Formats: sequence, structure tokens, C-alpha cells
Amino acid sequence: MQKEPITLTYDAIVIGGGIAGGEAALNLANNGYKVVLVESRLSVGGKMIMLSKVFPTLDCSACITTPKVSEISRHPNIKIFTESDITSIDKLGEQSFVVKMTQRPRYVVAEDCTACQLCEQACPVIVKDQFQYGLVGRKAVYIPFSIASPKVAAIDIDNCTLCGACEKVCPPGCIDFTMKPKEYIFNVKTAIVATGFRLYDPTNVPRYSYGTAKNVITSIQMERLLAPTRPFHTILRSSDGKVPDKIAYVLCAGSRDDSMGNPICSQICCMYSIKQAQLLLGALPMADITIYYIDIRAFGKGYDEFYEQAVSMGVRFVKGKIGKITEKENGNLTLRYEDVATGKLKEAEHDMVVLSVGVKPNKEAADLFKSHKLELDGLSFVKQSDPLLSPAKTSIDGVFVAGAATGPKDIPDSILSAGAASTEAISYLNQKSQ
Amino acid sequence: MKKKLGVYICACGGNISDYVDIERVREAVKDEDCVIMAKTTMFACGDSNQKDMEADIKENNLSGIVVASCSPKLHLTTFRGVSERAGLNKYNYVHANIREQASWAHSDNKPGATEKAIHLVKAAIAKARLAESLEPIVIESKRAVAVIGAGVAGLKAAISLARMNDDVYLIERDSKIGGKLNELETISPENISGKELLERLQKEIASEERITLITNAEVVASRGNIGDFKLTVRISGPQGNTEKEIHAGSVLVSTGFNSYTPAEGEFGFATVPNVITLPEFRKLMGGQKKAAEGGSGKLVYNGKEINSIAYIYCVGSRQVKGDNKYCSRYCCTAAVQASLDVRAIAPEIENFHFHKGIRTYGKQELIYKESNSKGDVYIQFMDKKPPVVSAAEGGISVKALDVLTEKRESEVIADLVVLVTGMVPDSDTSIGTLFKLPKGRDNFYNEIHMKLRPVETVIDGITIAGTCQGPKNVMESVNSSLSAAAKSHSFVSKGELELEPIIAYVNADTCNWCDACSKACPFNAVAMVETAGGQKASINKSTCKGCGMCLPVCPSDSIELISFTNRDMEDMIDVLAL
Ligand SMILES: Cc1cc2nc3c(=O)[nH]c(=O)nc-3n(C[C@H](O)[C@H](O)[C@H](O)COP(=O)(O)OP(=O)(O)OC[C@H]3O[C@@H](n4cnc5c(N)ncnc54)[C@H](O)[C@@H]3O)c2cc1C
Ligand code: SF4
Ligand code: SF4
Ligand code: SF4
Ligand code: SF4
Repeated sequence: MQKEPITLTYDAIVIGGGIAGGEAALNLANNGYKVVLVESRLSVGGKMIMLSKVFPTLDCSACITTPKVSEISRHPNIKIFTESDITSIDKLGEQSFVVKMTQRPRYVVAEDCTACQLCEQACPVIVKDQFQYGLVGRKAVYIPFSIASPKVAAIDIDNCTLCGACEKVCPPGCIDFTMKPKEYIFNVKTAIVATGFRLYDPTNVPRYSYGTAKNVITSIQMERLLAPTRPFHTILRSSDGKVPDKIAYVLCAGSRDDSMGNPICSQICCMYSIKQAQLLLGALPMADITIYYIDIRAFGKGYDEFYEQAVSMGVRFVKGKIGKITEKENGNLTLRYEDVATGKLKEAEHDMVVLSVGVKPNKEAADLFKSHKLELDGLSFVKQSDPLLSPAKTSIDGVFVAGAATGPKDIPDSILSAGAASTEAISYLNQKSQ
Repeated sequence: MKKKLGVYICACGGNISDYVDIERVREAVKDEDCVIMAKTTMFACGDSNQKDMEADIKENNLSGIVVASCSPKLHLTTFRGVSERAGLNKYNYVHANIREQASWAHSDNKPGATEKAIHLVKAAIAKARLAESLEPIVIESKRAVAVIGAGVAGLKAAISLARMNDDVYLIERDSKIGGKLNELETISPENISGKELLERLQKEIASEERITLITNAEVVASRGNIGDFKLTVRISGPQGNTEKEIHAGSVLVSTGFNSYTPAEGEFGFATVPNVITLPEFRKLMGGQKKAAEGGSGKLVYNGKEINSIAYIYCVGSRQVKGDNKYCSRYCCTAAVQASLDVRAIAPEIENFHFHKGIRTYGKQELIYKESNSKGDVYIQFMDKKPPVVSAAEGGISVKALDVLTEKRESEVIADLVVLVTGMVPDSDTSIGTLFKLPKGRDNFYNEIHMKLRPVETVIDGITIAGTCQGPKNVMESVNSSLSAAAKSHSFVSKGELELEPIIAYVNADTCNWCDACSKACPFNAVAMVETAGGQKASINKSTCKGCGMCLPVCPSDSIELISFTNRDMEDMIDVLAL
């Protein structure tokens, strides 16, 4: 164990390296402020870096995210820590925060790793790949994904058998099983919380049969199937390799329903489902795609037009509430639903069902703050203390919030809220230092 | 010295390589004159490829690079950055767009797409052979921002710019500030009125010394450009008009929206009595006392008690026949909120909502739930069959085919019909015309890129905030306004700016001032100068955008564009025509 934590000083800390955190960090850094960005996972980029294309412009998500990520990682005013957990944030006074952070060991010396992947080939352990949302496996030593930043291997020590195979093949010899967690203390003047959101866990709703029926997947898994860096390079049912030709979307899966523990609308799922439907029709022109919905919420600039485009491409929209999904022997699925137009209960068969899972809060953000309370709203999102006039302000002066941490947001809205958070942070730094 | 060029051909993770055989492209260009290395890559813009490119440039002493990938609109700055970090002047990098121009344009013809990509890359190589190192033009930037429009977006932008130590000129057409805040009753998610918000903002504006507020004012002329916009502001007063010139490094446009005004007869508007718009309904409510505060418990309109209200949604938005195809985003929530508010005045009132699918997205869903639980009736009408409004015995009849009851007709006789009108761009388009701001297909001002540059316009130095860019609620307007403030601030905060050196220049030897170029220039960058050799055209370095409009009109071929000279173009065309 290291004896003393390493103490460093920055103007601002940004917590969370998704698109919102990244954008906020860049805004501050471009205005000359020194920023430390802390990400709990192995790579920055958040959810966005894993997406396929993004509505309503259908830009390739990786193409927009990677250059941002690379700008952040190269910026002379930004220092990034990945695989790191903040343990406490204390406010001593205005413009004075003390942050304690632990960086977990990667067991790979990041500076030396060339991402040659030889270790991956050597490792005998296979586990589910969390970055591909369980669609495929990965090794115990692995590079998170092809466009990860930093693109460096890491060892998942919980699953590693310590066989040493990777150590033997690594050309630069950068595998180091003796690595220990590193402790840091940051003195900063302001903080931006950009901890994003969690996806609704559909196993909470047994009638969806997620986890038991093989061909019921979530929308984020479909994002991976569609992404340029996709695991199979085509759309297929990972259970049996069949190319699906009758795909159903279940909207509001885990949203707008108190009984599912989420009363609000998740704001992004209508649009991302419409987007995926369009992309699927591009990849599988003959496929039959049905979207079961309650209301279509295509509210942003160009969104309703995007929805109309899907209709004209032949995507079927059925206003209906899904009751139960059951698996047939051949892996196909029977959907029981209430067809709202007729009021009748109906059944339909599909060979793949995508659950358009909703947005849930990342409650842990509040626990990081010790001396002062970071208040959450009734739904456990970070509470905006002045939502109309200063949407980025929180219950703590000098702590601002960006992106989906305050509630569901698509990428354009996340980026604008990050702009707002950085402007407020700069104003805060300026005002009080005069 | 002969150039040493590196060529990078991107797969774009399949976006390109699914249609263009990038390996064939590489083969076809690798032996071109001056090319010493040609590589394919999964993501040219990816972090690891950028590192590789830097290493290549340094190790092989490359004097130029060609990147063949997506549109330079996306990644020009990315690869310029790569060049600079590797010590190569960024103007030695040339881009070929083989995604939008080859793979996506010809996805039905893979060999053709590949062939075209080869030509495009070869043309870029031809240009790279001639490329020269250039230095940016450095200009001074005034530390001041002109904010046009003092609604909530403009007010918030002004306050935050001032707090970032920029001088602000806040220009408002009206005699009072606040825009639509003046008319708003309850604003969700807080139970606060527009007036209360405005009072807070007024105090903050007054306490910021850096803000100069100019009301009754119109911007009538603009000269100059990023770094130094010179705006002529006409101020109308009791003694007539005065004019004032303002200098600002950046302009933030926050001119807001108008509520849609229905046409005569549209859903009975102006033809059937008691048909009013949502803003009119809000005003009506504003004048009446809440039941809990000693009101009569009744809503009264035109002297008559109102017991039932029918709301018709999407009026002027999501039009099947009209031009407004877009959803106005705020109005579902605003209408549901209004229907809840009216219950505070008249608790027994009956609300009927005729809608096309309620869009109370996000947390706004909670007020929709509340409304449902209060017994409001929601009737969804068919997209192509809007409700029919007519005068009827005992009230106004609203008939619609209900999606929920297998398209059976529902009829409601209501005392009042509220048309839920959407947002349209402000009818005064003078600012857009003055600055030549492009509009989207919805007629709102358009950003450069929704995700990469959401508050910038194609006119350098001009940002857009709030609803002039598209429908938004108050919170969303403020988010966009603070983002625009950050951007405008970055244009002025450093005191100087670097501009593109790719501009036009005049060959004074052959020019004999005919005025054709100055007429052709959309940016007023060309002026006449008297020289010893007679009258000549001269181009203002900081105003010229390098658009090239002046080139073809010059009868003596005396104008060239830096880095797009006749020689550059001819060499490229030679390759393309092969
Ligand atoms: C299936 C799907 C498809 C989508 N498609 C689109 C689309 O086409 N267009 C569109 O506009 N939007 C789309 N979205 C929405 C988009 O993903 C979000 O708008 C965006 O990711 C929000 O960004 P964020 O930075 O706020 O959150 P996130 O992306 O969640 O990033 C938060 C980051 O913070 C990190 N973090 C969390 N807690 C901590 C902590 N305590 N310490 C340190 N780090 C922490 C997380 O690891 C993560 O990296 C889609 C979403 C889904 C689920
Ligand atoms: S073998 Fe070594 S250098 Fe190669 S990826 Fe693995 S850890 Fe990195
Ligand atoms: S030591 Fe661990 S990570 Fe390395 S090869 Fe063995 S199991 Fe895999
Ligand atoms: S965005 Fe659409 S799918 Fe998602 S919760 Fe809202 S209504 Fe349901
Ligand atoms: S917000 Fe609602 S009322 Fe307004 S245009 Fe969209 S769907 Fe129609």
C-alpha cells in the first residue's frame, strides 16, 4: 500500500466521463481552467460511445464520440482518471473542495501497453463481456472495446486464475500482478456531477421473460448489434445465429408505470427505437418491424419528421400495451397485447423482441458528498435547486450537474446542459475570486 | 523538394468499407507520385489511429497527409490537430470525403463507389502535392457580446456573460424585457409564474455593471465580422429615433418565437364563439381568482360561466396538410398544466383533451398522470382526421374519430374550446436577413451540427440560443442560452482570434478595377484602392471567408484563392477526368 495519498490541485473536478462530463470538461479546459475528470469504468465515453448511430441525423455515434474523447484525453488542461472511485467530497468553504479518490489497479502498466491483444489470446478464462452487454464473451485480461480510451488492457482480477499466461506473452512485459490501489487527494474549486443514468433492469418484470427467453434482448444490446464496432458484424439472434426477420419493439419497458417502479417517461426510448427500426430496415430490407407503443414521443427538432420517415419506410406502429411474452420451442416469441384500437387482446409471433428499456437514476452520486448534502429529487435524480433559471445548480453552492444525472436526456439535451454547467462553473469561479 | 505524402483510408467501421473496397483504394493510390505510405484504418478519427498517424509523420518525415474518410465538416479540426501535434503545418493535410460522396451516395453500386473513391483520393493527393504551409490570420477580438432579444434566453445569457467578465449589450425591440415570460402563468416543473421569474432576472440584470440594456431598439445594420461586429442600433424614443453604433466580438441571437395564430375558421377560430388559443386561455386564467384564495369557484368568459373545456392539440404543429410538420415540443405539457391550473379556479370544471398522442416526455409525465387522476378525459384523434368544431345548441360541438374506440366518433359539447397552438419562428426575420443566418426546414435558425456545434451558426461569431433555434420550454431555453454564452465567451475572452488563411487575393498587375468582384462578394470584403498603378481591387483579410464567389466573375482572371489556386484545381480535375 502506498504510504501517502498523492495530492493534486485543479480548478474543477468533473465526475463521470460520458458525453456530458466530457463536454463540460472541454468547455472548462478551453477557457483555461485545469480539470480533473474521474470515470469509474475502464474507458471514458459513457453510453454514447457504445451506440450505433444517433437520431435524428443518423450520424455514426463512434464518429462523433471518438474525436471528442481524443480531444479530452489529449487536452493539456485535462487529466483523466479511469477505473477510479471517489470516496468523499468535502466542501471546506466557497471555492474549496477536497476530494478523495481511489484508482483501482488495472494490473497492466497503462503507459507501456500497446494494445497488441496477445494477452487476450493467451488467457484461458472466458466471461461475459459487460461492454457488449453480455452478447459475447471476453477474456479475463481484455481491452474493453476497440475504440476505448485509453485503449489499454486490464485484468479482471475477480475472474483471473493467476495462471500467468498473459504475463508470459506480453511483449513489453507490462502485466503486473503486484499493482495496488492508488489513493489521491484533489483540491478543487468547483465540481460538476455528470454521472449519467442506469438502464432499467427488465428482469424486474418477469412477464417480459428477459433472461429466460433467449431472443428477448434490450435496446442497448440491439445498439451493439447495429454498431459499426458490432460483435457479429451482422444482425443475428445470438442464441442460434438465425437472422431475424420479424422483430418487435416493446416501448415503455420499465417506464410510465408505478408498478414497475418508474412513473416517468424515459424521454429517449421512443426515438432510439424508431432509429433502430430504420437502421434494421437498412441492414435487413425484407424484415418486418413492429413497434408496440403507448404514445410516440418524437418532440425534438426534426424528431417528428424522423418518426414520419420510419412510418413511410414501412415500420409498423401498433398502439398496444404488452401483457406477456412467452418463448416457443423454436426460440420465437409470442406477444400477448391489448390492441388499443380495438380494445381486444391479441397475440403476435416475432422471432426477436427488443425491450426499449427506460432510464433510471444513478443514486450513488449523492453518497459521494460528505460535508454537505447533495439533494436528490423524488425520483432519486440529482435535484436541480433552481430548475428554470439555473438548471445546472444543485443544493450545494459550487457543485453543478450536467447530462442525464438530473433526469432522462438525449444527446443534444445532454450537451446543452453540459454547456450550461460549465458556464455556471466559470461564473462561480470568476465571481467569488474577484 | 519532393513531397513525402502519407495516405489514410478509413473504413468508418463499415460506413465506408461496406460499399467501398478500401483495400482496392489503397492499392490504387499507393504508387501515386510522392506517396510514400498508404494505410487503411478502422476509424481514422479514433484515438489509437491518431497516435499512429502522429508517429508516421514524425518517423517518416512526412511533408503532407491525405485522409480519406467522412465529410470534412466532421473532422477537419481533428486531423489538423494530428498534423500540428506531429509538427506538420496543418495546411499540408488534405481531405477526401469518400463516405458522403462515395459510399453513401452509391450504396447501390459497390464497384462504382470504389472507383469514385479512388478518383477522389487521387485528386486529394494531387492537391496535397501542391499544398503549402500557411499561418492563420490573427485578429483582435473585442471583449464584448451583443445579445439580441431579452427574453429568458437572452437575459440569462447576458447575466452569465457579464459574470464571465465580458461586456454585454442587451438589445430588446420592445419597451420592456422578459419576452413571453410576461404572459406565462404557472411554469412547470416549478409552481412559479413568469412574472416572478422576470422580477428575479430584472434584479440580476440591474446588478451587473457590465450589461448595457438598450430597449425599444432594433439592429438595422451590421458591418465587420467575428472579433469586431459593428452594429447600428436604432432606438425609438418619444423624441424620434436615434442611432448608436455598438462594437462586439460576438453576437448572440435569442429572438424567440411567436405562438401560432390559427387561420380564420381553423377549428372554428374567429368564426365560432368561445374558441380561443392557449396563450389567450392563460391570460384569461391570469385575471381570475383561485377558489382557495376567495374566488367564486367559477371560470367566467365573456360574462358566462364555463363548465366544460375542450382542448385541441397540435394546432399549427404536426400538420398533415400545412407546412409545419414539426412538433412544438412544449405545448402538450403546457396544455395539461393549464388544464390543471384551471381546476384551481373552477374545481368542478370538466376537461376534454383532443390530442394526437400526449407528449409529456420525461418527468413531465407526472403532471399527465395527475391530470388523469383528476378525471380529465383524453380522446386521441386520427392523424389525418382532425376534430371538427362547430357552434351547437348549448355550446360548441367538437367531433373526432377516437383511436381508442375503434375509430368511433366522439362528440363533446363544451363551453370553451382551447386551441393548443404551437411555436412558430418570430415573424420579424430582420436579424436572420441581416446576418444571413441559415434556417432549417422548420424555418427556425439552424445550428451547424446538433451534437458537435449545437449553438453555433455557419456565420463565424454568431451563436443562437433559446426558441429561435427551435421549440423549447423555459429550462431547455436556459440550457441552450448558457451553452451559447459559453461559446460566445470563448470567441471574445482571449482578446484575439485566429482566422482561416484560406482567402482570396488579387493580382494587382492584371487587375484593372471593374467592380465585378465586389458585386459578387456576399460578405462585402472587396473594396477599391487607389494605387500608383491605378484603381485596383483589394480584399479585406478578416472579412473574406474564402467562398470563391469573386473568382469566376473576374474578366482578367486576377483573383486566386489561397490553397485553391487554378493550378490546384486543374491538377485535381486532371486526375478526376482520367
Ligand atoms: C439504447 C439507447 C440508445 C440511445 N440512442 C440515442 C440516440 O440515437 N440519440 C441520442 O441523442 N441519444 C441516445 N441515447 C441517449 C444517450 O445515451 C444519452 O443521452 C447520453 O448517454 C447521456 O450522457 P451522460 O453523459 O449524461 O450519461 P452516461 O452516458 O451515462 O455517462 C455517465 C458516465 O459517468 C460514469 N459514472 C457514473 N457514476 C460515476 C461515479 N460515481 N464516479 C465516476 N464516474 C461515474 C459512468 O461510468 C459513465 O461513463 C440512447 C440511449 C440508449 C440507452
Ligand atoms: S500483451 Fe501486453 S502490450 Fe499487448 S495488449 Fe496485453 S498488456 Fe497490452
Ligand atoms: S493470469 Fe489471469 S488474466 Fe492472465 S491469462 Fe491467466 S487467467 Fe488470464
Ligand atoms: S420515450 Fe416513449 S418509450 Fe420511452 S418511456 Fe416515453 S413514451 Fe415510453
Ligand atoms: S407538444 Fe404535443 S401539442 Fe405540441 S405539437 Fe407536439 S404533440 Fe402537438
